[in-house]
Amino acid sequence: MRTSRRSVVMLGIAGVMALMAFCWPLLISPGAALQGNSLTPLVFALILPVVLGVVVSELGQHDLEVSSLAMLGVLSAVGAAVRPLGAGTAGIETVFFLVILAGRVFGPGFGFVLGNTTLFTSALLTSGVGPWLPYQMLAAGFVGLGAGLLPRARGWLEVGMLAAYGAVAAFIFGALMDLAFWPFALGGESQLSFDPDAGALTNLHHFALYNLATSLGWNLGRALTNVALLLLLAPPLLRVLRRAARRGNLRPAQLDS
Amino acid sequence: MTRQVARVERPIVEAPAPTSHTRLVGRTTHPWGWWGWALGAAVAVSLTRNLLLLTLVVAAVVWVVLARRTAAPWARSVGAYFTLALMVIGVRMFFQLTVGGLREGTVLFTLPEVQLPAWAAGISLGGPVTLEAVLFTISDAGRLAAMLICVGAANALANPRRALRAVPPALYELSVAVVIALSVAPQLIESGVRVRRARRLRGGASRGWRAVTAVVIPVFEDAIDRSLLLAAGMESRGYGRTHDQRRVGRGTSVMLMGALMCVTLGTFILLGVPGSGRWGALALGGGVVATVVGLRRSGRRLAVTRYRPDPWGWPEAVVLGCGATAIAIAGWLAHTQPNAMLPPISPAAWPTLHPAMIVLALVVAIPAVATPLPPRDER
Repeated sequence: MRTSRRSVVMLGIAGVMALMAFCWPLLISPGAALQGNSLTPLVFALILPVVLGVVVSELGQHDLEVSSLAMLGVLSAVGAAVRPLGAGTAGIETVFFLVILAGRVFGPGFGFVLGNTTLFTSALLTSGVGPWLPYQMLAAGFVGLGAGLLPRARGWLEVGMLAAYGAVAAFIFGALMDLAFWPFALGGESQLSFDPDAGALTNLHHFALYNLATSLGWNLGRALTNVALLLLLAPPLLRVLRRAARRGNLRPAQLDS
Repeated sequence: MTRQVARVERPIVEAPAPTSHTRLVGRTTHPWGWWGWALGAAVAVSLTRNLLLLTLVVAAVVWVVLARRTAAPWARSVGAYFTLALMVIGVRMFFQLTVGGLREGTVLFTLPEVQLPAWAAGISLGGPVTLEAVLFTISDAGRLAAMLICVGAANALANPRRALRAVPPALYELSVAVVIALSVAPQLIESGVRVRRARRLRGGASRGWRAVTAVVIPVFEDAIDRSLLLAAGMESRGYGRTHDQRRVGRGTSVMLMGALMCVTLGTFILLGVPGSGRWGALALGGGVVATVVGLRRSGRRLAVTRYRPDPWGWPEAVVLGCGATAIAIAGWLAHTQPNAMLPPISPAAWPTLHPAMIVLALVVAIPAVATPLPPRDER
């Protein structure tokens, strides 16, 4: 799937917005309107779907053909079906490897949309729609987008690169999700808490300690799952996806192998 | 001639009785109505830390769910949200006991204290546990828990497939992809069973990691083949040919980009620029309005019709109105009774109950009686 120039601009704006939505505890300055009160997650929960809607609708109208649409639906179903396999147990997160592989084969735009639709389908199937869903969709979308932007490589070099990317993406995903919900997970009255009056550096220090103490295990589990799944399943699945891209006329980003 | 007249006077086929959309038996309420109601209750709850009000609103929400949920699988999700809410309270309590900052007041018991080194920001673990700290944690985490339960109520009441059918036309392609995903997901299980049986019949080992890959890859290939077949089928039946063949105009695209920039800028101002909340809200609101207009314009090029759309009648208006009224009452209370809505941390006191809080809970509970009963066998 090729990405048109309009979509690239849209994705750029969405990237800025996503960065802001994830890092808001570091952005807040004393005296601003949304001072870390309980309205902030609701504001984001209402704005992010609007942003996602515009970007995804733009990508869908300009860049998706019928064959990509069917591929998108089927891959989202596979992703949503494998996600509950590891749900919650020590950070085993089975949803990312498929988004990474599809982003690699069909390009960054497809990877972004697939990340979104996979998490959305999974939430609909498990009744998990909530304020966290837009965050998960954005994060998974950018994981897929990044996989589509990786440099050219072949054979085991490619598999190794994808596995390394999977590990890094797992840690960044975990840290950003924790950062966005840190003020609510911990409350405002502990020594490791978010303090809107303190500077960004103090808050970052406190957050790093909190993240190290509470989430290292989960992030590590997520990274190891990604690496293991990618090392084991990437060669055969990449072959299947590239074959489908050739047969279905799905103009992939790169058609080597 | 006379026979004809007689026929007209006494028609054999009786004209159907006039029906309206607001039949009171066996119809589901519009899913977006339920979402609006639940979000309204969540916003109202987010404005308070008063345990009595939180309990009342949660009770009202649970009553509505019990009265109006169907037998569908998603209707059973409220229990999971209650577990999640209890976990939130538990985690917050754990952190308050170990690294909590509220240490003054009525001491309940004292935990052994450990001072961490300077690189860990000089944090001390443990220490005296006070009644004030425990009460504050329960009420502050209780607010989050109540918001979670409101969201869970929407998940239980709203039919996700129907909600998906009512998306704006600009998102039509994506809703098609998600509908495909929702209907393919059960077929994957069937495909997995078939592949495993075939493998067993051939005498392959059905244990260990090799067996897993030997099942996973054929199932995946099967799914991909299905997507190619589906695409061919959709194309041969004219999918994507209903477009008015013009592309979305450059003007609409530029408008949507500008709207997104406005939203981003507005959010940044609200978060990071002190004392300019009005400008931020203006940019944010303007951006959202421009987005809605832009999406409507870009959706117009699609000739999409809906098969039996869900009606939007008075029950939906009442449900949505209840959500909006709940926000209004909570906003008024937060403005006029700040001490009742956000009780001071110390000294610890029993939360006060304002009469308007009972009205708020009653308003949240109205949909339990004002909406039609859902049909028995809804799927």
